[in-house]
Amino acid sequence: MTDDTPLGNDESDASTDVTRVAATYDRIADHFAETRAHPWPEVVSFVETHGGASRSDDRGEETRQAGRAGQPGQPGQPGQAGQPGQPGQAGQPEQPGQAGQPEQPGQTGSVDSPVSERSESAGRIGLDVGAGNGRHAELLAEVTDRVVAVDVSRALLQTARVRAEESGYADALAPVVGGAGALPAATDSVDVAVYVATLHHLPTRARRVASLSELGRVLAPDGRGLVSAWSTAHDRFDETEGFDTEIDWTLPGGETVPRFYHVYDPAEFRADLRESSLTVERATVSSGNCYAVVSDRRD
Amino acid sequence: MKESLLDIVCCPVDKSELELEDAERDEGEVVDGRLVCTECGEAYPVEDGIPNLLPPDMREEA
Repeated sequence: MTDDTPLGNDESDASTDVTRVAATYDRIADHFAETRAHPWPEVVSFVETHGGASRSDDRGEETRQAGRAGQPGQPGQPGQAGQPGQPGQAGQPEQPGQAGQPEQPGQTGSVDSPVSERSESAGRIGLDVGAGNGRHAELLAEVTDRVVAVDVSRALLQTARVRAEESGYADALAPVVGGAGALPAATDSVDVAVYVATLHHLPTRARRVASLSELGRVLAPDGRGLVSAWSTAHDRFDETEGFDTEIDWTLPGGETVPRFYHVYDPAEFRADLRESSLTVERATVSSGNCYAVVSDRRD
Repeated sequence: MKESLLDIVCCPVDKSELELEDAERDEGEVVDGRLVCTECGEAYPVEDGIPNLLPPDMREEA
């Protein structure tokens, strides 16, 4: 075997990589989940803007308002996350100007939320790739009928399920062990997807681009996704170009578990998105992460 | 998992539909069984209500 295989074409050790990521997160799952209680504000904003409510169902819009009213960071507040299980409950009145708009799509010009034609059959589907403990699946549950939570770590998904039971959306949560490189979701099945803080664990550019294309495949024609990855823009990095690294997770006892990262520079992040089957609607850098709102490319 | 999840999930390899076999249910939830690809025949286990839909070569046998 020669050593001149170009980076990014090695499919041979994909198995090892996934197994390693899974083993790492299985090992740190409980502690990791404890320290990941709150959704990221960028994801909250995405779900508010693009989560959308189907035109025939105002529940999503109402619960979206509820989600906005219950700011992350106040986990003890009753009712913050319990809304999805109570569709009959009136939404919070803080944002009256926006409530109800999706019910009248023909009369407003300002609705930018995607409306899926599939909503009358399977309901609106959310997908969280690298769902971890479900902190973002919980947001998706507020605007969809079902959230498929994909993660390589079964232990993390179990913490997500417990969390969903505690917060009252366990019926909407479908935890699935799976990999970001081969998503186990049907083509065009997903209305709103969150793929945050996961892409950077895939070890080659080819696999990252292929994974982004997988996201494009599963997104419905009017579906939207949010992709994020750790960026060189973060304060802790001096580098200006993307690079591979290992960063230790420190368990409570002081033991460390290394985790692989590809840290993206923002231009590289956009280039990988362009290389995939995704269309980039908006790309930003926030809090040391690259973000992009994406849709499937329609040729 | 709920059986209706079969409308959404697919074989991670060839993206074909999956069929539920040998299901054990508890209060309407499938807690154990196999999801079998209608195209390639690969079987994916459901354990403790959570299907494992990693591609077979990435699946870590417990």
